[in-house]
Amino acid sequence: MRTFRAVLLCVVGLILGGVEARAQSAAYPDKPVKILVPYAPGGATDIVARVIGEQMRLILGQAVVVENKPGANGIIAVEEMARAKADGHTLLVGNVTTNAIAPVLYRKRYKINYDTDVVPVQRLVDIPAFLLVTTTNFPPTTVAELIDFAKKNPGKVRYGTVGAGSYPHYDMAYFAKRAGDLNMIAIHNKAGASGVINDMVTGDTQTAFLNVASTAAMVRAGKIKPLAVVNHQRLPEHPDVPTMKEVGYPEVGTLAWQALFAPAGTPNEVLETLARASVAAMEAPAAQEIFKKQNFNIVPNKSLDEAKTWLTGEMAAWKKIADEVKIETAE
Amino acid sequence: MELLHNLATGFGVAMTPLNLLFALVGALVGTLIGVLPGIGPIATIAMLLPLTFHLEPTSGIIMLAGIFYGAQYGGSTSAILVNLPGETSSVVTCIDGHQMARQGRAGTALAVAALGSFFAGCMSTALIAAFAPPLALVGQSFGAPEYFSLMVFGLIAAVVLAHGSVIKAVAMIVLGLLIGLVGTDGQTGGVRFTFGITQLSDGIDVAILAIGLFGISEIITNLSEAEEERSILAQKITRLWPTREDFRRAWPAALRGTTLGSLLGVLPGGGAMLSSFAAYALEKKVSKTPSEFGRGAVEGVAGPESANNAGAQTSFIPMLTLGLPSNAVMALMIGALTIHGIQPGPQVMTERPTMFWGLVVSMWIGNLMLLVINLPLIGVWVQLLKVPYRFLYLAILLFCGVGVYTVNNSPAAVLLAALFGVAGYVFMKLDCEPAPLILGFVLGPLMEDNLRRALRISGGDPTIFIERRISLALLIATLLLLLILILPFIRKKRQEAYQSEG
Repeated sequence: MRTFRAVLLCVVGLILGGVEARAQSAAYPDKPVKILVPYAPGGATDIVARVIGEQMRLILGQAVVVENKPGANGIIAVEEMARAKADGHTLLVGNVTTNAIAPVLYRKRYKINYDTDVVPVQRLVDIPAFLLVTTTNFPPTTVAELIDFAKKNPGKVRYGTVGAGSYPHYDMAYFAKRAGDLNMIAIHNKAGASGVINDMVTGDTQTAFLNVASTAAMVRAGKIKPLAVVNHQRLPEHPDVPTMKEVGYPEVGTLAWQALFAPAGTPNEVLETLARASVAAMEAPAAQEIFKKQNFNIVPNKSLDEAKTWLTGEMAAWKKIADEVKIETAE
Repeated sequence: MELLHNLATGFGVAMTPLNLLFALVGALVGTLIGVLPGIGPIATIAMLLPLTFHLEPTSGIIMLAGIFYGAQYGGSTSAILVNLPGETSSVVTCIDGHQMARQGRAGTALAVAALGSFFAGCMSTALIAAFAPPLALVGQSFGAPEYFSLMVFGLIAAVVLAHGSVIKAVAMIVLGLLIGLVGTDGQTGGVRFTFGITQLSDGIDVAILAIGLFGISEIITNLSEAEEERSILAQKITRLWPTREDFRRAWPAALRGTTLGSLLGVLPGGGAMLSSFAAYALEKKVSKTPSEFGRGAVEGVAGPESANNAGAQTSFIPMLTLGLPSNAVMALMIGALTIHGIQPGPQVMTERPTMFWGLVVSMWIGNLMLLVINLPLIGVWVQLLKVPYRFLYLAILLFCGVGVYTVNNSPAAVLLAALFGVAGYVFMKLDCEPAPLILGFVLGPLMEDNLRRALRISGGDPTIFIERRISLALLIATLLLLLILILPFIRKKRQEAYQSEG
């Protein structure tokens, strides 16, 4: 009987708690919030969305549902979000590929107008990357030596990417261009970062740009070696690895970011609520702990206007890189 | 001695009450979602992912692994009973397993699948415990040329899968290859055969194809038969337990399947997927009565089921030591580990021995739990077949629809599956079998991708395939297989020639 009463109390408490939370934010959100993720579960973007979603549920007092809509460089998810009712109940956590590169490279594939139908709410995190070389039959151990080796052995250095037209592809092509038109061959591996790493370990490729979190184990095993890091500053775990800026290539390499987006036309006060809630979500200790373990930098914008300026700048930078490198990709 | 030490570490972790509970929860949830084809392991694990944020990483991964092998196990139940493969590995189980069910031997098929899986689980656990470090190196010796040669071998072996005309089997494989080309070309980023439909730009998921070709087309066929014929089928259920004869035929098949599956599972990317197909082809080749295959041969269930379970277990080796997932579920598990700051890599075994060996032993315990849960349930599952088909088919169709939708949360996928269902019905009427098509579909894109990657690596020089030793060995094996396939064919032709002369 006692346990029954305890359970009953709990249930009543939960209901009351729910009502209270709802009363505090009567206007928005008044129903569950859906966050679309343009990738299958398990990747970095999905994890960021789920961690933030879990915290935002507590902050907004409404259920937050993460829904994966993978495919077509994010076009499927971005289009669905842009077409949803602009009331803040359908959002998207996208990344540099789905929300800056694809809209620049594949403009014709969209059935929406990306520039006018999508607004950035908040830049969330960015992810440092390494410029790596293999230790399997490959002498260079610094960026200068890598450039020198590639110059002396044109067409002999192969670099791994996660796909034609992906940002690790552009990063290396841009690096090759800036370092004096190096002749290096791109080898694409659809199996993602782990596939690219395995190609380096077998010696099929010699170098690649890859994010720090997915390479950490193989770096510690000594199978691959970081020459430089793409980041705001050096990493505490790798104090002897210089930044790309320090080795003379400040513009080269992508600090892949994740950001929160909403359909254009969403009321400003709703966007403000979301921008604040997402910052609070990232600052929650549970979220901080997960992001820190993966070397994610928390980099929110100061205002909605700043978010817009930032996204416009990102897209302009990618347009410049795409024009300069000219990787052939189908429209 | 190290083996015993490792296993002792593992038992110490896996036998704690909490971890036992998580293994049980995982196995139960897995069985449930496996039997209900509607909810796949991917959707389930994704939903449970935030829960594991708060768990010990070992407990979390034990539960997720339980869901994974539980689902594989449950998946064979729906494959046998209603010809509905939840994933690639149970496609092969459909061929003979469902035939057995139609003959009233559903109980036997389910029991053989359960026992075979358990046997494979025990053997591969022991194998991992004894040889994990050297096995981890195998994955590292497989580059693009080796994979290409492996895929060529697999495709030739696919011909053996067919029990009818070889020409038709080849036609189905080629059709599968073509369907596999739909989507984005990994080497140029261009899209192929999508007709401007965005939903096709990442290709077609194998679950959509399999559920359409097997599950939905089966429903169409059944509904086109008269009601009386079907009720006779349902009344025929006699035995729930395999006979002595069944056991005698099944156990060598389970042993062969386990060996093959364990070996292929170690190869990252595609290895585990190949294992059940390869085991089926092997069983058919060594059988004295190959004509029984496709008509309810018990070896055709025992071999592939053991192989797929063994492959699933050993595929944890490349996942944990190289970070290479063999399928979407494994990719999710890597995600779950990275949340806890655990990066799969060569040192996982030495840096986190409790997690590694705890997981290995928990898989064995989970398999035991599955056996205990499922053997008594066989009677219940078989009763399902007695439900009048006019009710049953609606439920199956509903689950098919939900299952296909949840793959990518895409409504277009449901329409595609319906389309493949109709295609499957047409194939059935033309006596063309869908299994070789699925294998062609799975292997084709992998083969193309690795061929082009290998040639880019070698600078366009095709000798790379014979310079690499493993690749050369695989190509020689392919040639031998081809000879074995062609010889009886030639002999038959000559006999026919003599006969017509005489």
